Formats: sequence, structure tokens, C-alpha cells
Amino acid sequence: MSESEIIEVTMHGRGGQTAITASQLLAELAYEKGFKDTIAIPIIGAERRGAPIQAFTKISKNKPIKTYDSVVNPHYIIVFDRSLLEIPRIQETIHDGVTILANSKEAFNTQKFGKNIKLFIVDATGICIENQFMHSSGPILNIPMLGAFGKITGYYDLKIMEKVIRKEFGERRLEKNMSVAKSAYELVKEA
Amino acid sequence: MVENTKDFIQNEENIIIKGNVAAAYAAKSARVQVISAYPITPQTTVVEKLSEFVDNGLMPGTQYIKVESEHSVLASIIGASQAGTRTFTATSGQGLFYMHEMVHWATGTRLPIVMAIASRGPAPPWNIWADFTDVLSQRDTGWMTAFASSHQEIYDEILMSYKVCEDPEILLPKFVAYGGFILSHTSKPVIVEDQDKVDSYLPPLPDEKGWPHIWVDPKRPMMFGNLIMPSGFYQEFRLKIHDAHMNAKAKIIEATKEFSKIFGRNYGNGLVQEYKMSDSDVGVIIYGDLALQMEDAVDQVRDEGYKVGMVKLRHFRPFPTEDIINISKKVSLLGVVDRATAFGSLTGGPVSCEVKSALHDVEGSAVILPIINGLGGREVTLEQQKEQLRTLVILNETGEAPEHIIHGTYWDGLLEVK
Repeated sequence: MSESEIIEVTMHGRGGQTAITASQLLAELAYEKGFKDTIAIPIIGAERRGAPIQAFTKISKNKPIKTYDSVVNPHYIIVFDRSLLEIPRIQETIHDGVTILANSKEAFNTQKFGKNIKLFIVDATGICIENQFMHSSGPILNIPMLGAFGKITGYYDLKIMEKVIRKEFGERRLEKNMSVAKSAYELVKEA
Repeated sequence: MVENTKDFIQNEENIIIKGNVAAAYAAKSARVQVISAYPITPQTTVVEKLSEFVDNGLMPGTQYIKVESEHSVLASIIGASQAGTRTFTATSGQGLFYMHEMVHWATGTRLPIVMAIASRGPAPPWNIWADFTDVLSQRDTGWMTAFASSHQEIYDEILMSYKVCEDPEILLPKFVAYGGFILSHTSKPVIVEDQDKVDSYLPPLPDEKGWPHIWVDPKRPMMFGNLIMPSGFYQEFRLKIHDAHMNAKAKIIEATKEFSKIFGRNYGNGLVQEYKMSDSDVGVIIYGDLALQMEDAVDQVRDEGYKVGMVKLRHFRPFPTEDIINISKKVSLLGVVDRATAFGSLTGGPVSCEVKSALHDVEGSAVILPIINGLGGREVTLEQQKEQLRTLVILNETGEAPEHIIHGTYWDGLLEVK
């Protein structure tokens, strides 16, 4: 990553899968790590459980971020739910050369989305179920997905995650948060 | 119980928060004494955050009033302010329209109320996204009106507003407006200032004697806002409101200068902030979130070899007529970008109307191209803003006007209607 570049990340999730919080936490993680500027941009419409949700995070090493517009050509796409990749308008957000991090047990073919796509997978749902890391309507996917994202990008590590999670959610939930983050950090792999 | 530790900060800290939360922190830093609240999207999280602060004992002595409508929000705030307290509330779009009667009342009573507006488009069709028609349509209520273009500016402008509103020579209420969702719901780093520093910047909270012109004393009952006959001082009171606006310009300049000295952040002269205008051939006047993004557009179009610049309009009321005249003499063409409408006039959106009116008699001033974009939260991208600048360059150099000039205004980003 060049020093003047602004890194752009798109999150695709479903309502309730905690993708919007993930976009904010990613901004905090990068900032805690020493990035100069960040912005988290949720796309707010008529959200409801299960509906496709998009959120963006822009992070920058040196340059102030002055734009509020949507990310159209992201460096990374984080997919919280693989079934979203069957929706044409979500497929359209995937461009040649992008790196995808998907919540998935197994690898899948990315050639139909574009050329030179890098795919990383992590079974975040499995990790959440195993650790009983759930809210009222499903697994809390943001923490494991961000753990995996930290590992594949090197933008932040588990220590930074611990600091941000403590600041954001307090002491009581720290241990469980960190154990799912750590599992995902260790289990994420290139497909 | 709220467990996040961010709420408990006391000293200067840089935190990543939503624009709405920045507004709530500003009210906390200003030690407001009475908050009245009614939820409305996209403002709701301002008063939600404040209720958490109050509930967690972080705003000791602050009274948090829940009411049944926006009209009652402002009515109760007027009562509280009249009794001599520093007050705060927030609203958006329809909520502001519902308040409208009380909006006039606050000015007539000369109360230094500060209200955050997370601006949204007027309905119908129902709309909750960024559009400044809500706040700009309050033009003649006598409230001062500022725009914030960034999360930090929301926090900073609210602090500066208390300073100016409570000045004994001003005593006017003020709106601090920012784009709904674009600023209210995105998260960015914001410096929340050290409490002692904020205390030293702001005037002291009013004591039991209240404001210089109005107070409540049970031992000396008085009638407020009573009927005044046409032969009474009504017309003179109105002139005094206008006088206060004119005087507020110098006060805003002063408050901005002092803010910059203490906190190190610059906002031009407070009324306007120029960006790369000194050697420009063409420029734009722009406000709110789009002004920050336009800085990137200016930089990138300059890289293409065109001398373009911009002016961020920070205050709509009082209107910086003198600054606009000066700026208009530096360039030959000025685009005025409104994310708002002023129907039924050939002079474009609300800010365009003001600019055109300010330049009416000015010799050698720039030609004005009114631009309307981004209504009801329609996204205005960086690429689109760059294209607006290029369009102005072409118009200036060749006289070739863009398509979509409708009734004298360039409507940018219209969908094709089949």
C-alpha cells in the first residue's frame, strides 16, 4: 500500500449480521493502529433483519479523507453471507483484482465475478456457534470477520483489537470477543 | 448500563464517532443545563446519546425533558431559556417544520438557544436524507444559521455558537445544520476538547439572575410576549433583531479567531472559508458536507491544469455579503451549489438567491451559475463535483453552457425520465 493511498473496503451483509458495526469498528481499529484518517459509511435505507446491507470504510495512512461518497471500486470486499453473491447488483460491485474475505466453510469459484480476484475464507458462523457468540437472531459475525481481516491485511493485530473492543464494549464481554477474534485470526486461509 | 468507556472521557481525546454523537458531545462540553427531546430521523441519535450521558451521571445538574412533539420541544426550551439557562436540542425536516411557530417565538424573545439540525428533505414523497431545504426555509425566522462540513466542525461550531448567541449584544438563537446520514450517521475521528479549555472559551453559565434582558423572578411577576399595539414598539423590536444579525458578523469573526487560538482549528473568518481562490479563474460557493468533498475535487481538477477554487459558506444568517462581494471580484465565474430548493424564482437555490442579491449592484463581479444537486440525499460523488468544476471552466473559456440548464439553474445529476 502506498503512503498516500486511501484504502477502501466494502462490507456486504444481511440486516442483523452486524456489518454496519463492523464498518465502524474497522475505522477504529485502523485509527488505533495509527492511520491518520478513517471514515465509516453505512448505507441507510429501510433496514430489516435479513435484507442486504452495505457499508463502507475508508482508511488512510497519511492523507486526510474528505470524501463522503460510496465506495465503487474497493480494495477489499468483506462478505458476511455467501448467498449475497448470487444477487446481480452485489455481483456488480466486484471488480477485477479485488481481494474478497468471505464467511464461508469452503472455497468457491470467483472467476465469474472478474479476473485476478483473491479469495480468503473463514468459517465465522462456525466460530460463533462454537463459542456461543450469538445475539437474538444469529451469530455476531463482525468480530471474527474483523479478526480475519486483520490477519490477511496486517493493518492491525489482536492487541489492537483488544484495545478497541475494551473501549467500545467494556470489560465484561472482552474475553468472549477476543476468543472469537483469535480463532478467526488463526483459521482464515487463502482459497 | 452503558459499558463503553468512550462516554466517560473528561480530558481531551480523539475518538471515532458519528456526526450526531459529535453534536451530543458538544452540548456536553458546553455544559448545557436543559435539553428537551423528541426523536426524529436522522437526528434521533443526538438526543439518545445525551440521554445516556444524563442517565450515566455525566451531565450533573442537566435537566432532560421528554415531550410529545417537536412543537413542545421548542416551547419547553423557550421556557427554560427564558428562566436563564443554557439550552440545547436537535431536530430534522418535518420536526423543524412542526416547530415553526415556536422558531419565530424564540427570536422575538431574544433567547440564545442552539439547535442542531441533521438536515433532511421535506416530504412528500417521504424523505429522510440530506437536503438543506428544511433549515434554509427558516430564513426569515431570525435565527442565525451555520453549516458544518465535517464531524469535527459540528462539535466546534456548536461551541462557537454558544459564544456568539449569548453575547449580550447579540442574544439570538442559532441553527447548526449538517447533512442527514452523510454526517449524522458516518463515523470519523473527532477531538473532544478538554473541559477546562472549553470552560475558558465559553462565557460563564447564566446565574440565577438569568440573561441581561429577561429573567424569571417569582417575587416580581411579569408578563412575557404580551400583545403590543400597532402604535407600540413592535417595529423597533424587529429592527433590533436585524441589528443584532448585522452585529453578529463581527462577533462570529471574533469567536472564530479566539477558537482557533485556543483549539488550533481554523474556519476562515468564520463566515466563509476560502480554498485555493487566490489565483483562480473560476470558483464555487458551496456549503455543508459537499464543501469538504469539493476540496478534493478542486485539488484534482487543479492537477489537470485548471485554476479552480472554492469558498465554503459557513453562515447563511447572518449572510456574509461583504465577503461574497470581495470573492466575486476575484474570479470571472462563480458556481453556487445548493443542496436545497427555492421554488418559483429564476435565481436558483436558496444560497444562489442570496449571492445574486448580494451582487446585484456590484460592478465587476463574477457571473453566477446556480447549481442544484443532491436533493433528498441523492449521492453527489467526487467525480460529479470534478465534472461541475470542468463545466464551469468550459463555460468560462468558451461560453458553452452545460446541458440541463433549466430556468437559469444547472440541475446536475437528474435521472432520465422516460
